[in-house]
Amino acid sequence: MTGFEQIIGINPWTALFTFCNMIITFLILKKFLFKPVKKMIDQRQKEIDDMYADAEKSRADAAKLQADYEEHLSSARAERDEILRDAVSRAQKREAEILSEAKNEAAAIRTRAESDIAQEKKKALNQVKNEISSISISIAQEVVEREITAADHERLVSEFIGKLGESDD
Amino acid sequence: MNGPKIYLQINGMNVITQTAVSSFVVMALLCVAGYFLGRDLKKRPGRMQVITEKGVTMLYNLVEDTMGKHNAYWTPYIGALFLSSIGGSLIGMTGILRSTTSDISTTLTWALMTSFLVWGCTIKNSGLKTFLKGYINPMNIISDIAQPVSMGFRHFGNIMGGSVLTSLLYSALAAASAMILGLIKSSGIAVIIVVALLGGVALFFGIRKKKLALKILGIALIAVAVCAALEYFGVFSEIPILEVGLPGVLSLYFDVFSGGVQALVFSLLTMVYVGMACPPRR
Repeated sequence: MTGFEQIIGINPWTALFTFCNMIITFLILKKFLFKPVKKMIDQRQKEIDDMYADAEKSRADAAKLQADYEEHLSSARAERDEILRDAVSRAQKREAEILSEAKNEAAAIRTRAESDIAQEKKKALNQVKNEISSISISIAQEVVEREITAADHERLVSEFIGKLGESDD
Repeated sequence: MNGPKIYLQINGMNVITQTAVSSFVVMALLCVAGYFLGRDLKKRPGRMQVITEKGVTMLYNLVEDTMGKHNAYWTPYIGALFLSSIGGSLIGMTGILRSTTSDISTTLTWALMTSFLVWGCTIKNSGLKTFLKGYINPMNIISDIAQPVSMGFRHFGNIMGGSVLTSLLYSALAAASAMILGLIKSSGIAVIIVVALLGGVALFFGIRKKKLALKILGIALIAVAVCAALEYFGVFSEIPILEVGLPGVLSLYFDVFSGGVQALVFSLLTMVYVGMACPPRR
């Protein structure tokens, strides 16, 4: 220690040291403090911004999805109604068809049955007539064999005819 | 009041002075603090990192508000300047080292650095021709000289004035305490006892009624009485009893407040001057 400097005096060495120290302080603080801290703050800010943007995007996506879904749902409902209506009308048509077919068939069956009945009746009648004639022939043979009187004859014939008329009914 | 001590003299030049040593210490402290605060930063910050980030953000905001967003890259320099200045002012409170800012060499160097930055920015942004054209009006030369001188002397004067006032206060208080103790001593032992009793009563009521002022008065009176007794019996002489306490309150203003304000003023002026030299690009 060799004494004191003046209170107000410029020392170039002190100025040089101050200058160098200032530059060194500036560089070191910049490299080790300001840059990393600022970078970290910016990174965090960016991350937060990204997160918000992502959230906003997914919200919009979800809304879009929901709208799509609702649209799909309503169109499906409309389609379903259409199909149902179609099916009902088709079924009704089919029903009517089946009914008319059945009616026709029934009518055909009936006419056939009626004609069958008429034929059978005719056949039976013919059979009866044949039998009658054969019976009358056999009766006639019997009568002839027994020698009948005119009165008997008369009575027999009328009786027979009366019988015929009865069975003809 | 002396200037900085001279530690090393070579060929009649004061190479290393107290200011230079303080300046190195401040630099070392700032660099170490900066290194440890900026080390392993995390996305989820701890307590220390939150404070660091808050400080850095505040500095960035200050620079962006004063110089504009395009000049935010000046923040590290402004921050280093601000921290060096406030550290240089506060280092004087250690009592061993002298404030770097109470040496005109320091503050004038910083002011000249600001001026050179301003000139450099002007030349870079508007060309050498425009820069030289500004000196057609010779008043600009004077203003360019006055600017660093005023900045340097403002900072130096405030801190230096604080130390001068503090040292004046110390000598005044030493004289006052010597006078009071001498007066009590020459009045005899009875007066010492009376003062001690008065102090005891004041302390008693101060504790009873919970009055801080009364407590302090009581303790001070008892201390004065004790010192007077010590001097009376010849154990010590010239005890500067009044230098206890009062200078600390003033130091809070002259060193802490004034140091902070001057650091802020210096950085703000640097920001304004450099900011004017770096207008936003079109």
